[in-house]
Amino acid sequence: MMKTGSLAHLPAGLAEQQAGGFWTTARMAGVAIIVPLLAFAFIGPMLIDTDPLAQDYDAVLIPPGDAAHILGTDHFGRSMLARLAFGAQLSFVMAFVTALTAAVPGILLGILAAARGGLIERGLVALSDIVLALPGLLLVLLLLAFAPGQFGPLYLGLALYLWVEFFRVARIETARVMTSPSVEATRLLGFGRFYIVTRIIFPALAGPMITLFAFATGSAIIAVSTLSAIHVGLRPPTPELGAMIVELMPYYSEAPLQIMMPAAAIFLLVLALQLLAGRKS
Amino acid sequence: MKGLIATRLMQLVAVILIVGTLSFALMYFLPGDPALRIAAGRYGPDMMDNAISDMVRAELGLDQPILVRFLSWMGDLVRFDLGHSLVTGAPVIHEIGLQLGYTLWLAVTAFVLSLVIGPVAGAIAGLFPGSVYDRVMLLVAVGLRAVPPFVLAILFMMVFGVTLRWLPTAGFGGWENLVLPSFTLALGLAAMSSRVMRDAMMGVASAPYFIHARYKGLSDRAVVMRHGVRNASLPVVTYLGLQMVYLVEGVVVVESIFAFPGIGHALVHAIIARDVPMVQGTALAMGGLFVLLNSVVDLMCLRLDPRLRRAA
Amino acid sequence: MTRALLARFYTLAGILAVAGAVETTGGITGVAMAGANDDVLDIASPLEISGLDPAKSGYLFSRMQAAETLFTVNRESQIVPMLATGSQASEDGLRWEISLRDDVTFHDGTPMTAEIVAADLNRAFERPGVLRQAPITGISASGNDIVITLSEPFAMLPAFLAHYSTIILAPASFDDAGEVQTIIGTGAYRVDAVVPPLRIELSAFDKWWNGRAQIEKVSYLAVSRGETRAMMAQSGDADLVLSLLPVAVTQLKGNPDVNVTVATVPRTRLLKLNLAQPFFDETVERQALSLAINRKAIAGVVMRNTDLAASQMFPPEIRDWYDANMPVLDFDPQKARELLADAGWVAGSDGILEKDGKRFDVTVRTYASWPDLPLIATALQSQLRDVGIGLEISVGSYTEIPAGHADGTLEAALVTRSFSMVPDPLATVMEDYGPGGADWGAMNWHNAEAEDLIADLRKTTDGDVRAQMQKKLADILQAELPTIPLVWSELAMASSARLENVRIDPYEQNYYLADLRWAR
Repeated sequence: MMKTGSLAHLPAGLAEQQAGGFWTTARMAGVAIIVPLLAFAFIGPMLIDTDPLAQDYDAVLIPPGDAAHILGTDHFGRSMLARLAFGAQLSFVMAFVTALTAAVPGILLGILAAARGGLIERGLVALSDIVLALPGLLLVLLLLAFAPGQFGPLYLGLALYLWVEFFRVARIETARVMTSPSVEATRLLGFGRFYIVTRIIFPALAGPMITLFAFATGSAIIAVSTLSAIHVGLRPPTPELGAMIVELMPYYSEAPLQIMMPAAAIFLLVLALQLLAGRKS
Repeated sequence: MKGLIATRLMQLVAVILIVGTLSFALMYFLPGDPALRIAAGRYGPDMMDNAISDMVRAELGLDQPILVRFLSWMGDLVRFDLGHSLVTGAPVIHEIGLQLGYTLWLAVTAFVLSLVIGPVAGAIAGLFPGSVYDRVMLLVAVGLRAVPPFVLAILFMMVFGVTLRWLPTAGFGGWENLVLPSFTLALGLAAMSSRVMRDAMMGVASAPYFIHARYKGLSDRAVVMRHGVRNASLPVVTYLGLQMVYLVEGVVVVESIFAFPGIGHALVHAIIARDVPMVQGTALAMGGLFVLLNSVVDLMCLRLDPRLRRAA
Repeated sequence: MTRALLARFYTLAGILAVAGAVETTGGITGVAMAGANDDVLDIASPLEISGLDPAKSGYLFSRMQAAETLFTVNRESQIVPMLATGSQASEDGLRWEISLRDDVTFHDGTPMTAEIVAADLNRAFERPGVLRQAPITGISASGNDIVITLSEPFAMLPAFLAHYSTIILAPASFDDAGEVQTIIGTGAYRVDAVVPPLRIELSAFDKWWNGRAQIEKVSYLAVSRGETRAMMAQSGDADLVLSLLPVAVTQLKGNPDVNVTVATVPRTRLLKLNLAQPFFDETVERQALSLAINRKAIAGVVMRNTDLAASQMFPPEIRDWYDANMPVLDFDPQKARELLADAGWVAGSDGILEKDGKRFDVTVRTYASWPDLPLIATALQSQLRDVGIGLEISVGSYTEIPAGHADGTLEAALVTRSFSMVPDPLATVMEDYGPGGADWGAMNWHNAEAEDLIADLRKTTDGDVRAQMQKKLADILQAELPTIPLVWSELAMASSARLENVRIDPYEQNYYLADLRWAR
């Protein structure tokens, strides 16, 4: 169903994009979403003086739009606004830290493996396979059992299996780039490895890595939520976006908006990160 | 090629040994009394108490020194004897065989579904970047991944099971019971692979060989199929390996919600009940499965990109 | 090229699936689960099959009337004979003769004899189960009777013989090692297939001694999530659903295709306290704790029924223990603060009380297998903070609680305690509040009067005398509060509007499947 000439726009379009530089519409949209979101998550808790833990049994599951409770209340009568702000703060920070903890070693090891090859590469690949083969859930559950309800083991466990994503894709992409003509040319011109890595490989990886990072952040939040669904996770009454979704799930028929709010927050964060990541250049 | 298979086999062995040792060690060092947990798993909280767990402890020899237990366990493993579940008493191999079967059905169906949906949607988006379709796909992909699989599951259950009544809400046993759970998993997988495919396709479209092919005078279709898809497939196929992880983890929650008696469900219960043989058995099953599937992915990668053959 | 590869891959996937399917052929090609609008009665409940031994999953089979016990409990909460016809204790109470029915056949056709029953009871006695709590010295068969000898008089013996671990199974159910391989019982339904851990298939048994079931086929599915169960009730995939979340009850009540029945059950959620801790060693401290709790709010918000706010340990339905004249457990935070101040607790800088350098910071252990427990704990945390008590909630496995009781590390626990395991609350009370306490009962509590009462109650058979003594015991528990009752419980059951004669059993012994009928 593709007609001849229908792909004509492609190379030209991309060239245009490359010439257009950093600020594409997508990126601007991403910024437009993430700035208010981050403001809500980090400045919000300072400005909102309602206690996210204060229960009010007379104001249970009030829908948003109420005079006293702008975003409504949850099943204990706690302010959704306060819980969302504090929860967003916690979730965003932890997810970011987790993704970073996974990304940095993952990327570096991936480049190392592809650049050095040989035994180092084999060893690292074997290690990554074994880490992946051990069910991540098992790892997290067991780590959590040592320190129940605390943040450390939860996110450490998640980082432990997220790094492999970064490692694998980094390795494959680096391998591809290394065999490309530009690298060959650079080598022929006598530039050292360090130059190749920083000037060519890093930029080439930037695109996929940022995409992965965006999704890893989202995955971290979702993983915490999934663990809450099987009754493993943070201790009550800590507000956390994923846990809030799980807590409010049973009330889907009575208060669907309350579930959508934390879900929307996560959605917006991941979307914004994706948009900021933009297209592979 | 042969070298690769040999490597993978060695990896499988290494995985078995390490996974087995690790799960034993972790279960042993876990705080809390295993006898209590096993008694709870067997008899339930209302009937369980310290007296009963003492009986369990004596019955299972849990008070023997750890080295003895580890050696005897390793010995069993080498003989492929995975022992008996400490909770139900049935042989672990039987239980896992049954559960693995269910999970395999679920995982493979989800995987195949996602292979059909994801890359196709992503490839089209990659060929028309910036279009309405592309942007909508972005929103949909992000939406699917930003929602916990358990929420998706309940949503589908609500829509298709309760409101429309097209499919049974839960249970196992017929092909209709497979649809909702595998769809829930497939969509999450497809979301990610469609994005990766899109990025890859776009990269390919700007690559010299692609433009060259067009200048050669090849029709669009030939260009895309021969040069585009194959090269774009590389990162996607690499990513497939990682998707196994998502599948294997997602399966736990989905099985729990749809009352599907698979490996994930069994693993969670086994960990909670300290049923060490079951934990080891399930971890091994999942690990072995993963290595096997990765070997397949490796082979596909090799076929797709001859440059890697030198490296392998 | 790519196409060939993909084809190869799909083939491999297919092979894998087939390989797996070989093992599951039985399960997968079986009847599709949970079809709506067919004649199979589909039941869903959260309880999974953890093994075929009666002590492990016996309750599933007794509730579905596949296996039966010697005695059972009727609607008036009285112990009545089922497979037995009656019981007779000797003068000194040390020898019981239980006469059995002579018209009972097992599902495989073998007749039930006293020897078989004695063998089953002996097995139940030797293994983990409730019979070990009774002072039994011997079980034997004599003609068509069972003779049980005791080391001391024990009035509750028939009640113990109603517990699910004493179900009577045919000899063919056991293998040479004495393990149960199949369930061959005496009940209205015969077990056709068990697919652990989630499914049981049953069909009506022609030769049942008590008539015949009307519905031919029954299919049971264990579904652990409450949301799924509620949806199965709504879509008609399950005709009978046990155990619904309070939210689901509200939702289902509005559905014309579903009937919702609710019954109060003898199960109390309570706070178990370690009286060796300085927080709880004085009675006034425990009373203060109780006064700080707003039970009505908890019952309203979590369980959606303010009537469930516990005024004492036993709900009104347990007539022989409930004392209407007892002073109620009140909500008075101001009084709570005063009592705590009297006991020497002074507010620190952040509002948390302190005494002798120790902060009133308590870790409460609870578990999530009952979804309302963490919710109740969250509410408690907020309420107790108001009077200066800091609560740290630890949600884990319920095994942490007996473990903490045994090694003394437990500070407090939020648990749900059933008084109807043996359908006589005394069985549970005598364990939980007897000398030394128990894993799910009192911890480090000593009360001579209570111990004497319990010792007497074990031997007393006269109903009225017992009722009086039981109420006295309940009074002591109310005054001393070794454990603090919070809320009572309800059991909610949803049934398809097509079903008639649906009955709910507050003792959770029986689903009365044999009485059910499809509406015409």
